[in-house]
Amino acid sequence: MRVLFFAQVREATRVAEGELDVADVDASALWNALLQRWPTLAAHRENTRLARNGSYAARDEIFRAGDEVALLPPVSGG
Amino acid sequence: MKIRVEITKEPLMAREAGRADGGIGAVVEFAGIVRRDEDGASISALHYEAYEAMAKTEMERIVGELAARFSCQAVEVVHRIGRVPVGEASITVRIEAKHRAEAFSLLTEFMNRLKQDVPIWKKVGE
Repeated sequence: MRVLFFAQVREATRVAEGELDVADVDASALWNALLQRWPTLAAHRENTRLARNGSYAARDEIFRAGDEVALLPPVSGG
Repeated sequence: MKIRVEITKEPLMAREAGRADGGIGAVVEFAGIVRRDEDGASISALHYEAYEAMAKTEMERIVGELAARFSCQAVEVVHRIGRVPVGEASITVRIEAKHRAEAFSLLTEFMNRLKQDVPIWKKVGE
């Protein structure tokens, strides 16, 4: 799956996006894979929301191989 | 504070001229402006970034939800990204409604929801 990073989360990983080789995982398993690949995300896990294919992920969302996943730190638009 | 009050026989808001249907009783226009003072520091600009595709659909979804609660005829939202210097607008919202109360309510609620859920981020920049 393609993973997108924004704002403080992008500054933590130092990349805007990356590929992650996981499929059919829940948010908890996805976070484990994310932290293994980008350990600096650990500080952001608590307040970062996940989006799947352009919408906020539900609590029980399952993330698939071809998804676009985005890590969204607290927003500050307007 | 600067106060200016005027009474005129000339048309106001040229954009409204020629509106034929007569169903709009209120137009509310809002602009969010970058202030010099940000968290106690003096800044020259803010930098905005967005998850553009999702920010757009989230704003559309929020407006759609609010339109069901507050009867309005038209809503336009434009959010600027990139560098926005002090004194310039980062967002403009324009609402047309039959009555002003709905337009003001929709505006207030929209801005609150934007600041909670729309994936746009600002940071202090040069």
